[in-house]
Amino acid sequence: MKFFLKILKDFPAYLWSGWGAVASILLFIAFWDVGNQIYGNLVLPSPLETFKTLYAMLHSKDILEQIDITLYRASVGFGLSLLFGSVLGLIAGFFATASMMSRPIVTILVGMPPIAWIVLAMIWFGMGDETVIFTVVVASFPIIFVGALQGTRTLDGELKEMADSFAFPWHMKFIDVYFPHIFSYIFPAWVSGLGMAWKIVIMAELLATSDGMGAELAIARSQLDTPTALALVTIMIGSLMFIEYIILEPIKREVELWRV
Amino acid sequence: MSNQKEEKLHATNHYLYYPDEEDIPPYLAYGFRPIFLLLAPYFILSMALWGLVWSGYLSIPFIDNVLQWHIYEMLFGVLTAGVMAFLTTGLPELFPGMVPLVGKRLKYIMILWIAGRVSFWLIDITGVYLTAILNLTMLAWLIWFAKDVVLDKLQRHASLGYTLVVIFAVEVWFFASVLGWSESNSMSILRVALGAIVVLILLAMRRVNMEAVNELMEDKEIDDIYISHPPLTNLAIFAVTLYTIVGYFYPTNSALGWIALASGASIIAITSDYNLKDKFILNQPYVIYLFWIFMLFGLGYGLIGWSILFNDANGVSSFRHFITAGGLGLAYLMVMITIGWIHTGRHLTSNIYTHFMVFFIVLATFMRGLIPFFEEYSTQLYLWSAIAWVLPFVLYIKVFFRFLLTPRIDGIKG
Repeated sequence: MKFFLKILKDFPAYLWSGWGAVASILLFIAFWDVGNQIYGNLVLPSPLETFKTLYAMLHSKDILEQIDITLYRASVGFGLSLLFGSVLGLIAGFFATASMMSRPIVTILVGMPPIAWIVLAMIWFGMGDETVIFTVVVASFPIIFVGALQGTRTLDGELKEMADSFAFPWHMKFIDVYFPHIFSYIFPAWVSGLGMAWKIVIMAELLATSDGMGAELAIARSQLDTPTALALVTIMIGSLMFIEYIILEPIKREVELWRV
Repeated sequence: MSNQKEEKLHATNHYLYYPDEEDIPPYLAYGFRPIFLLLAPYFILSMALWGLVWSGYLSIPFIDNVLQWHIYEMLFGVLTAGVMAFLTTGLPELFPGMVPLVGKRLKYIMILWIAGRVSFWLIDITGVYLTAILNLTMLAWLIWFAKDVVLDKLQRHASLGYTLVVIFAVEVWFFASVLGWSESNSMSILRVALGAIVVLILLAMRRVNMEAVNELMEDKEIDDIYISHPPLTNLAIFAVTLYTIVGYFYPTNSALGWIALASGASIIAITSDYNLKDKFILNQPYVIYLFWIFMLFGLGYGLIGWSILFNDANGVSSFRHFITAGGLGLAYLMVMITIGWIHTGRHLTSNIYTHFMVFFIVLATFMRGLIPFFEEYSTQLYLWSAIAWVLPFVLYIKVFFRFLLTPRIDGIKG
């Protein structure tokens, strides 16, 4: 509880420190605008036009439904990877044999291009939710698994010994000794897993389904509707930035405070 | 001995050597004193004169373009005074070997500044050449005075010197265009000058901020340290410079609108330094005052960006007052107040007067800057914003003139 209060207390200052980031994004948009002036509206619509399209989109019920579908797929896929990745990774980390065995398998999983997984999934599951969710799981599970594995593998033996010699009760050992260390590994893995899930869900939808934001993007492409395509991209980037910088980063800062 | 020397290097002790000139009157005992004694009344007088000129009661033809010369004077005429106060007070402190400028030499320089102002208001009689020569000489002298900063091996504060050189070049360019030696549009040159001056103020504010905020915390026994991070200031300077250069060549381009928005955001970003690790200082009056300088600059650039994106030329010129009357005005006022307390041997104090001074500048800025939203009241807003903007300097005369006219109360010379 105290932990969350501290995050809330630091939140305004954290938010205010984002002005520098806003400035650099705006400079990037200026650069985009120059691109529009050089290459024309068809190739690269102006930022202002894109944002106007975006505004109109966010007021249309149809698009909101599509966003909803995509969100559902991404969160189920990411939720499954989070659960299995964390649990299996933690367990594997405690046993040297298990971690030794899992290494090459993870390498295979990570090394296989997601686009290949999509093809396989389309054969296995057909065109629908399952294909997309499966691809998301396959892509983000290894990342989280490795993070959790590293977290338990690198636990400091001396700290463990100290905790033992002070005869800490098990819950104290877990909360004060193991948890902060493991969390500082697993949390960044969750963040990258989420980023991966959000990117893969769009790609899978674009290739394998007829609804969701990825499918909308495919339609925009076939109609050469660049403003809509860019507006969709803006929604994706915007939502990812919101989750990463507004929700996860403040937690991460608080969690990793002990490191400095 | 070494202990004493160390103590003298401390920021509030100002200098290692003081010139041994006899009978220096208090108002010439240190660089800032005569400047502030003249600058506060000059702000009031010139606003009154402009009011009379704009409303048509007073006819000063100003060659052919009153607006252009109004901008010139409010930028360059005032700038030399502000820069002089900043340099003559700050440099002996940053470079302890430097001898402060006092007494007769100070008097001559002040006469040069006054001559510059008189020649400006009589420009139709005395001609552009005299104004150009007097004002350029003043700025050139300031750069000469600050040469140690540029020649300093460590280059700690060299950016101030280089920016001054750029401003000098822009002023030469302005006069060249007025005299027909250059094809450039003189109004566009003034916009370039504004950009260069904002850069100079941002550089100077980084130093003023560090000194004022840390002095304040020391006074209030707040155990923390405030550091103004160079990358934030540099980002703001980069954005403002880009805006100024692109704005000169493509004043209505939509990309310029985005750059202006970026400039605004990057200037506001500087305020995130006020967020210290352990202590909360944003409830301290001086921190709030200084905070508003950046907010006004930031709002100005942001609103200008918005107007450029939506093709509102009227908005651009109105919102520019957030930068000029607001940001620059408050920056000058804060330099006047801070130096007025600390360098007359007093603690940095806030009271009802300082609150009102800052409040009126901010109020005047909003009244002047937001005229596009209240067109039907524009006449009243012009008048009342001018009055509100002058009030802080009236209060300055009331509070600070007795400090400026009497010796330091801690017995130190200067």
